[in-house]
Amino acid sequence: MNDTRNILLLVIDAPPYGDWRGREALDMALSLAAFDQPVALMFRGEGVNWLRPGQDGSATDQKTVSRNLGAARMFGLADIYADEDALVRFGIDKTEPGVDAVPANAAFYARFREVIQP
Amino acid sequence: MKEPVESNAPLKCEGQVTLHLLNKPPSHPRFHSCMAALQAEDHLLLMENAVIALADSSVALPPDTSALVRDCLARGLAEGVRDGVTLVDTRGMVELTDRFQRIISW
Repeated sequence: MNDTRNILLLVIDAPPYGDWRGREALDMALSLAAFDQPVALMFRGEGVNWLRPGQDGSATDQKTVSRNLGAARMFGLADIYADEDALVRFGIDKTEPGVDAVPANAAFYARFREVIQP
Repeated sequence: MKEPVESNAPLKCEGQVTLHLLNKPPSHPRFHSCMAALQAEDHLLLMENAVIALADSSVALPPDTSALVRDCLARGLAEGVRDGVTLVDTRGMVELTDRFQRIISW
């Protein structure tokens, strides 16, 4: 885990595909990273469904959001975290490499300069 | 945006078998209002964000439940869908709406 004291954490707690909240948060994170702003992403609660393998957005005429997430490293996103309890709750035992499962508690959020839940 | 706050009073449909169309995820108050309103003979159709309930170990679904397959595929949920839950396509959804006397869209 990187030194997080100067990093802004964006939290996605909305499931994918149903509305635009999560996508807007991801776009915000990628934009910040593209301008060399230190930013990390956290998937919490129902938001961990972004990390489920085997998604096919084309079934609903949408882009597959997990592919958007794959671009995060190229944009220089510092870290990607997932709420470990939510991963268990939603039966997601395998995510993309580089996703850190962490407890979504006050101690975790306290590591960051700022936390935003769009 | 702030989620809407809903009344806890379930929308009962006594005497009429009802098809419940649910597109809200388990965190939404309307998901729980729907669960509270379900009667023994009713049918629940999960669609859009509601299909993540299939993977949610904290949610108990009624025995007569189906889910829209396209929304499951988008979310990586079609494989190993929960026991007893039927996957339906758009035609199947239309057939369900034709079969039931009463429909509630949550």
